[in-house]
Amino acid sequence: MSAFLTYLLNGLAVGSAIALVASGLVTIHRVTGVVNFAQGTFAVIAGLCTSSLLGLGFPHGLSEVAAVLAAALAGLLTGLAAIGRPGTTPLSSLIVTLGVGVLAYAVEIVLWGDQPRSAPGLAGSVTLAGARVQTQHLLVIGVAAATFALLALFFGRTYLGKALTACASDPYAARVVGIDTRRMGLLAFALGGLLGGVAGVLVTPLRPISFDTDVTLIVNGFAAAVFGALTRPVITLAGALLLGVAETMAAGYGYGSHQLEVALGLMLVVMIVQASRRPAISQERA
Amino acid sequence: MTARTWIVAGLAGLTLALPAVLDDSALAVYVLLGLAAMVTVGVSLLMGYAGQVSLGQGAFYAVGAYTAALLALNGVPPLVGLLAAPVVAALAALVIGTPLLRLRGHHLAFATLATQLILLSLAGQLEFTGGDIGLQGIPQFGVGSFEAGGASVYAYLTWAGLALVMLVTHNVIASRPGRALRALATSEIAAASAGIPVGRYKLVVFALSAAFAGLAGGIYCFYTGYVAPGSFPVLLSIQYIVMAVVGGLGTIWGAVAGAAAITLLVQGLDRLATLPGMPAYAPGVLSYAVYALVLIVVVLFLPRGLVPAVSGRLTGKRTKRADR
Amino acid sequence: MIDVRDLVVSYGTATALEHVSLTVGAGEMVALLGPNGAGKSTLADTLAGLLTPTSGTVTVGGRLALIPEGRRLFPDLSVADNLALGGWRSGLRDPSPVYDLLPRLAELSGRRAGVLSGGEQQMVAFGRALMSRPDTLVVDELSLGLAPNVTADLAGHLAELNRSQGLTVLLIEQNARLAFDLCRRAYVLESGRLVTEGECADLAGDPRVAGAYLGGAIT
Repeated sequence: MSAFLTYLLNGLAVGSAIALVASGLVTIHRVTGVVNFAQGTFAVIAGLCTSSLLGLGFPHGLSEVAAVLAAALAGLLTGLAAIGRPGTTPLSSLIVTLGVGVLAYAVEIVLWGDQPRSAPGLAGSVTLAGARVQTQHLLVIGVAAATFALLALFFGRTYLGKALTACASDPYAARVVGIDTRRMGLLAFALGGLLGGVAGVLVTPLRPISFDTDVTLIVNGFAAAVFGALTRPVITLAGALLLGVAETMAAGYGYGSHQLEVALGLMLVVMIVQASRRPAISQERA
Repeated sequence: MTARTWIVAGLAGLTLALPAVLDDSALAVYVLLGLAAMVTVGVSLLMGYAGQVSLGQGAFYAVGAYTAALLALNGVPPLVGLLAAPVVAALAALVIGTPLLRLRGHHLAFATLATQLILLSLAGQLEFTGGDIGLQGIPQFGVGSFEAGGASVYAYLTWAGLALVMLVTHNVIASRPGRALRALATSEIAAASAGIPVGRYKLVVFALSAAFAGLAGGIYCFYTGYVAPGSFPVLLSIQYIVMAVVGGLGTIWGAVAGAAAITLLVQGLDRLATLPGMPAYAPGVLSYAVYALVLIVVVLFLPRGLVPAVSGRLTGKRTKRADR
Repeated sequence: MIDVRDLVVSYGTATALEHVSLTVGAGEMVALLGPNGAGKSTLADTLAGLLTPTSGTVTVGGRLALIPEGRRLFPDLSVADNLALGGWRSGLRDPSPVYDLLPRLAELSGRRAGVLSGGEQQMVAFGRALMSRPDTLVVDELSLGLAPNVTADLAGHLAELNRSQGLTVLLIEQNARLAFDLCRRAYVLESGRLVTEGECADLAGDPRVAGAYLGGAIT
């Protein structure tokens, strides 16, 4: 039972990180219609930045915040490439973000080399109801929960958040009232970078990050996001937690080598079931 | 004969004569270029005609390579292995494509990427595929008592494979279903309402593009003598997209030109990056940077592709997609 | 005030508006009639700055607000939020002046816009447009899909604003009766061209206009 609880909490921590990546994906997709392939890259950049800043002797807190801001900047730059030019279709934008992700490889290798890097997180572990859990795992869960609460407040309570929601629900109407949808799209990209950055900062102490970790991150994030049809944040969060727990349980009970297949297979099934339920017309916009 | 036919015949003759005068390192570029072109023609057909992005074309390349390698290692004549490679890749595409092609746009892109990751992960874990180490000691290609000794034989094999791929694609595009396919790229709904069996055509193009990749993979495994999951990274699939986009989607010669341009560019930079005094990471960094920048610039600024844009400028008129 | 001169708007190779010229004086209320696909909404979008003219000029005096065809509210947001976003341009987010004018909206303020009836939605769209404190209002299909009494209510508010505050109005309508009731002048747009214009009283007597827009009955 205590092993189960350990796996569950570890799984929730993994799921929280996936959820942060996925929520960035959903934020960007809702506002711009673009699926951002470079979403995992933001987490990688933040993780590598943290490791460098801490290595240079900067204190905890400052290093992490600076790394998250660097990821947000990366998000903004990605947005400029993907939607900065008027008339770029969502699928062209997807290919551009793919290009941005590959470009980031070049930059990351020059700056950080091609070997995985880690960063010290919270040391030690605590015992909860007989289960030993690393403190860093609890930190991940806590910070992710706080981030989601802030995100909900931002979208539900602030004027800017409502303007972003307006762009997501009807871009034409948003333009009618004078909202610059392109600027809002760039804001969404920066926000997506920030969320990816938070994920990267939290995950690096648990699992070393290298330039090509982005593929695992984006695939898991996309898998969670498809649960919510790339538009619904709450279902995305649930999907991410489910995915994290399922993967950790699979690993914990000895099926570790099939973690990725489980996640990807699940994603394929969800997408295919959704596609067979939806009329073709609503998809052709995508 | 028209001028166009003369040019094609000239190019064919020139490229056929080339292997005789190239050294081994140039032959390696020749073979890799030709194989990339074979896969890219399929990707271009899929993107330009079925309007779908596949981020997993490397998976079918891998299926072809593993098929030919496994058969050859088990004593099956290499020619049979090579012929089986595209067939098995196409069958895999039919099986995978039946559910997957219900998806569109970014969903299909991620689904094909997921397929490749799953296949690679399986190949890295299963015993009969050799796990992460892969399959080694694949015999040389040969027919009957003839065995390929030098790299030039693989160059001729690649030439023949590419010629076949281009010929098949040309005939598909010129056929009545091919013309109907064109409608698919613009709007599936319009195509469906015009009575075109959209689903079946998409599946056929998907399988055909997989067969091209499988054939290239088959030649690749005999040429290198080993295959491993690491030979087929996700970046390989992205590379084919770059080549197809650069060449202009839905064009045969564009795909070949795109593959040639990118291969030569990356090889040239590779030479530069391995010069003394360059850091050890230079080759990787330069090729990533080239793929990325070329992809971004072409998608944003030359959405019809480099070849159509240049030829359009030369002839001084706007070439429409339907003209080619 | 609206002044459109020799306006051409094209989408790619298709031309939606061909050499259209029209004026609406300050404080005037003018109708634009035309069938579906005539280019009325293209003109509305161009006036609102959402489309760029291919050639010709569009001059708008003061602030212009558009009530788009089909209301186009933000369905997931509350009525109050929809109104607040209407103040994006003006920076005035407090909806109380609009509530004073349309008290029904105060009652609806907490409801999600997507669940309202067509008439209520049109009233929210009206209120949202007023939030930007416009000098000129372009109304695209006020009456579409609404019951006659609901239309009459909204039209009454529109006429009142025109009279009391000098709001300039371009009323884009398929319902010529409503347009002729409210406006003194009208333009008729067909296939991207202005085919006729004049006093509503004269147009109502024009057999072509009457035939096409008033069901043949000459009033």
